[in-house]
Amino acid sequence: MNGPRRSEYAVAIVGAGIIGLFTAYHLARAGVGPILVLDRGFLSSGASGRNGGGVRQQWETRATVRLARESVASYRHFGRDFGYNIWFRQSGYLFLAETNADLDRLRPVHELVRSEGLHSRVLDPHGVGRLVPGIAPGAVVGGTYLATDGILYPFPAVWGMYEAARGLGVEMALGLEAVGVATRDGRVNGLRTSHGSIATPKVVNAAGGWSGDFSGAAGLEVPNRATRHEILATEPMKPFLDPMVVRPSDGLYFSQTMRGEIVGGLTLRHPPGADRGMASSAAFLPRMASALSRLIPRLGALGVLRAWSGFYDDTPDGLPIIGEDPRLPGFYHANGFGGHGFMLAPAATRRVARTVLGERTDLDPSVFGPGRFTGPAPPSSVERLQLG
Amino acid sequence: MVEPSGRRFSFEGRSRTAQPGETLLDSLVRDGLPNLQRSPRYHRPRAPFCGIGQCTGCLVRVNGRPNVRACRYLPLDGDRVVTENAWPSRRFDLLASFDVLFRNGIDTLHGFRRPAFATPLFHRVVRRLAGYGQPPTGESAAALSGPPDVREVDVAIVGAGRSGRAAAAALVAAGVHPLILERRAETPPLPGAVVLAATTATFLPPRTGGPEGTFEMLAYGEPAQGVLVRARRVIAATGSYDASLLFESNDRPGILTGDAALELTRRGRPPPFHRAVLFGSGDRARTLVERLGDHVSAIVAPGEIPPELVSAATQAGIPLYPRSLLRTAQGRTRIRSVTVQSRGQGTPATLECDALLLAHRRLPNGQLFFQAGARMSWRAGTGAYYPVVGEDGATSVPGLWAIGSASAALGAASVGSGERVASALTGGSVPVAPLDRVRPDGPNELEGYYRELLRAPRTGRWIACPCEDVLLGEVEEATRNGYRGIEVVKRYTGLGTGLCQGRYCLPDGLLLLSIAEGRPPTEVGYITQRPPVHPTPLAALAALDASVSAPEGS
Repeated sequence: MNGPRRSEYAVAIVGAGIIGLFTAYHLARAGVGPILVLDRGFLSSGASGRNGGGVRQQWETRATVRLARESVASYRHFGRDFGYNIWFRQSGYLFLAETNADLDRLRPVHELVRSEGLHSRVLDPHGVGRLVPGIAPGAVVGGTYLATDGILYPFPAVWGMYEAARGLGVEMALGLEAVGVATRDGRVNGLRTSHGSIATPKVVNAAGGWSGDFSGAAGLEVPNRATRHEILATEPMKPFLDPMVVRPSDGLYFSQTMRGEIVGGLTLRHPPGADRGMASSAAFLPRMASALSRLIPRLGALGVLRAWSGFYDDTPDGLPIIGEDPRLPGFYHANGFGGHGFMLAPAATRRVARTVLGERTDLDPSVFGPGRFTGPAPPSSVERLQLG
Repeated sequence: MVEPSGRRFSFEGRSRTAQPGETLLDSLVRDGLPNLQRSPRYHRPRAPFCGIGQCTGCLVRVNGRPNVRACRYLPLDGDRVVTENAWPSRRFDLLASFDVLFRNGIDTLHGFRRPAFATPLFHRVVRRLAGYGQPPTGESAAALSGPPDVREVDVAIVGAGRSGRAAAAALVAAGVHPLILERRAETPPLPGAVVLAATTATFLPPRTGGPEGTFEMLAYGEPAQGVLVRARRVIAATGSYDASLLFESNDRPGILTGDAALELTRRGRPPPFHRAVLFGSGDRARTLVERLGDHVSAIVAPGEIPPELVSAATQAGIPLYPRSLLRTAQGRTRIRSVTVQSRGQGTPATLECDALLLAHRRLPNGQLFFQAGARMSWRAGTGAYYPVVGEDGATSVPGLWAIGSASAALGAASVGSGERVASALTGGSVPVAPLDRVRPDGPNELEGYYRELLRAPRTGRWIACPCEDVLLGEVEEATRNGYRGIEVVKRYTGLGTGLCQGRYCLPDGLLLLSIAEGRPPTEVGYITQRPPVHPTPLAALAALDASVSAPEGS
């Protein structure tokens, strides 16, 4: 890997995942001078290449519903705008309720989503059964369903944004690690990399699961926590399942891809920071297999092909961190997406870009701003739907 | 696993029988090599290719369960076997029109984006093409679920080939009684050792709170269920397999690996072909000539042919084509000839045949070493990664040993490596003299071969990844668009993400990308295979939930 081509950039973006790439694209479109995107891994090596591709608009917080709705609209036109077919399929997201209490917890989300003009529906077991053929009798009391949520194929979205940003002159440095920032008079004035330093007044931290580390390297204490999540893919089979299925009680989620595989995961608690490897744990395969084959017994005869893991970049209130850090002007956060970067990327990064350009956005700083964790008042919203 | 006794089953509605020890494929092959499958994008006819449970050429539906490999499955009394993935029938599949309609390939990356109103239709059609089989039935799943079989042993040997058997025999003689996991269905017994035949083993990753200093392996066998093996020491004698090769129409029925030819003709079974062109010139090629006799009609080799093989072939009257490129296979539902050309732009020759046997390159079965995190090193002799081992076979992972051809041992050194590891495990002395192993450096013969082959203009289909119907042109386009390294190209094209998990396409992929990117294969990347590698039914994994639960920190 060679170092950066220039010695000076208008903006340096750390992380070539979907957030970093979209941010670079929006900034380049706005005519910002030289932009550098750097990533210590290869393209799609992080969570942008390891997720299940779900895009949903059902959230507990209104601002997130709006960001997601705008992102869905962007993804619908991705093929036209960026030349790659991301196979975005609006076949719905189905939340399963095992008990009436589960269903009661889903109702406020349902009401909120409807109040935003999205046609969420509450389903009875029969309605769930029609969407999930072969679901075990008695497995659910019902669920909520939003037909315009969808599933996309993450890789071509990464290629599309990579090429679109490059086409606008953004420099991509893959295999180059950001190791810290240089400051002067309390402001960012440079970035230190594994291959030398550059001068830049603005650094965007879009490092996903490594965001907390990079903020730390810049001397900023942040609450981001990387948590490992695992996922598996089965053998492919002919289409039988359309929606993404999510069970909030244990975090089980799965869908059937365009190629016919069932891809999904569930929440297992690993000790924080215990393992930053990408390997699978012994507990995951049997646990996931058990959850899936109990819910849809006939899938028991389907073979698991592979399992892998990736990192969620979690925050205490379950909401992303977007904005300039009040403690270090010139240091911008575009992180803390908690495993939902792909869902929110198109809309969230428009706000990131505006912030970097010094413009105002419609995002409430007490909900999304980096200052919400360090200020006197606690964060004003909490998002608990950290699933699928 | 216990060998089933009853063997009357139905295939596509007709009653058939399988003899004791016969797999489903053995039984079907008595009527000739069957085209059991269709490829996932272009619905090209596909027949068994590897014969050892890795490729997608023999997937059938058994009792409502899709994607069962006929070459690994021992039929049971009353089994109902049907073929899938073709409409209306496997001989006449209307979806095969995609092979003709999309001569330049189906571009799933850029195509099918417009008009916007038609995208739901595109989604339906593309989803329908893919997928191999219909979802399983509830009955098929119920038949697979049951309590797990947990076995705790001191020494487990994975593989009962030459080196595994040598190690087992020496261990038994020293009073240690190993458990042997062997994926072949027909495995002779080994006195003093327990043999689980028709079983494939995968390591479960180490876990917090798991048994100290013990490996956990999931062994999955057909037609039985999962076995959880806990072993203090594991000897991996996983052997090697014959590689695939790139040329025009390299996926046609009748193209077989040497493994398939040997598997299908074991114990005196007649080969499912009359005139086979053999590609390769090493020990493997000689074994095939010895086994198949006058069923071999020509020998083609990428380099020189060694004198021993020349004399064997001359005696048998087999024509030789040394230093030759294999360019094309002709024939749609079964190959009828191949075109070869001597290197340096010689005159092409068409050789009539009904089979092509690939025996030019032996690749190690390295999944267990990758899974265990053993240190690996590149050996140019075959163009593959092998575990780094001491002269006693110890890998970098304490308690894990590698022997036989999986550890790069060649020929008789396989047996020697098995005896050495047994001696090391029982406190005996181990000779320090190095064993004969695959050459670690120097140029790879196939690199030069592919460089020359790919320079010429191309026509027809060159299938870089048969499991997913990825074309060579798509791999080249990735490089042209600036995507570098095997990991990125894998994600860009889908290469190596199919049912064989890249066993056949990725080793070639490394060599191709090395040429295209102008850097050594080791810089192009490392081939990783994610567990469980061999498709393992959810029901078998679910049965282990209680045995390996206690997720870390929960």
